[in-house]
Amino acid sequence: LSSQQFSALTEVLFRFLTEPKEVERFLTQLSDFATMNKISLGPLKNIVKSILLVPNGALKRNLSSEQVRADFIALGLSEEKASYFAEQWKMNSPTLTRLAVGQTLMINQLIDMEWKFGVTAGSSELEKVGSIFLQLKLVIKKGSQLENVYVELTLPQFYSFLHEMERVKTSLESFS
Amino acid sequence: QLVSALHNLTRHVVYRGLTRAEDILCLFPENFHQNLKNLLTKIILENISAWRNEAQASQISLPRLVDMDWRVDIKTSSDSILRMAVPTCLLQLKIQEDAALCGNNPVVSALTVELSKETLDTMLEGLGRIRDQLSAVANK
Repeated sequence: LSSQQFSALTEVLFRFLTEPKEVERFLTQLSDFATMNKISLGPLKNIVKSILLVPNGALKRNLSSEQVRADFIALGLSEEKASYFAEQWKMNSPTLTRLAVGQTLMINQLIDMEWKFGVTAGSSELEKVGSIFLQLKLVIKKGSQLENVYVELTLPQFYSFLHEMERVKTSLESFS
Repeated sequence: QLVSALHNLTRHVVYRGLTRAEDILCLFPENFHQNLKNLLTKIILENISAWRNEAQASQISLPRLVDMDWRVDIKTSSDSILRMAVPTCLLQLKIQEDAALCGNNPVVSALTVELSKETLDTMLEGLGRIRDQLSAVANK
């Protein structure tokens, strides 16, 4: 592969890595590349597969771009191409790291919260009430399904909830 | 019959929210024994706020929050990244199902929810807006 072709291929690879959901687009771009450069798609796919192993392993082990470059040279790639790839890696690694962290297991993740509050006007026991209530709807991801949880809070409970959440935020910030 | 009548009387007083002795006294029939009337009124007045609070606590509602705990964890490793230091929050809400439905054995379930820092920030924004809306309503 000439260096121009290599940089075009690298670009396609990184675009896929940063947007792993765009599988179709990646495959289309790969076959376009193959046709343009008169390479057959089959062997190209195999090469791409082995190339992709390097950034994935690097991400897992938080390798620096130096180490990525060394890995590629060990695999037999020319110095120039290895450096180019390592440069691209350095540029993209924040995005890639963020993506990997985002994939980490989360238990019962809170997705969304809605609320309303109002006044209880009367009930079957008390003709005139006039107490304020707050209703929260929490959307939680359980496995692959979303579940809605409805909770009612009194005002004092709301204020202490708010206070506790602010303490959590301080705690999280001190660890970042 | 006596118990049932007393029950009806107290329920009526609580329902109407009567708080003054005169209002309660005029509920009794004309020829009711005077001292008994006063004694009953006194006892009712003493208990009325406790009864109102209990009625409010047991009225129908959505499931209610009874307790809440939290802890902050630091995620150090996962199958996609071997080393990291990502703080995350685990929030446990103890929720009691509708008291009216459960009678004397309220069902309390614990729900544990995980929040990332971004989710927590968004949630705090929402809670802050609720607080502002509440103060706006209170100051009107």
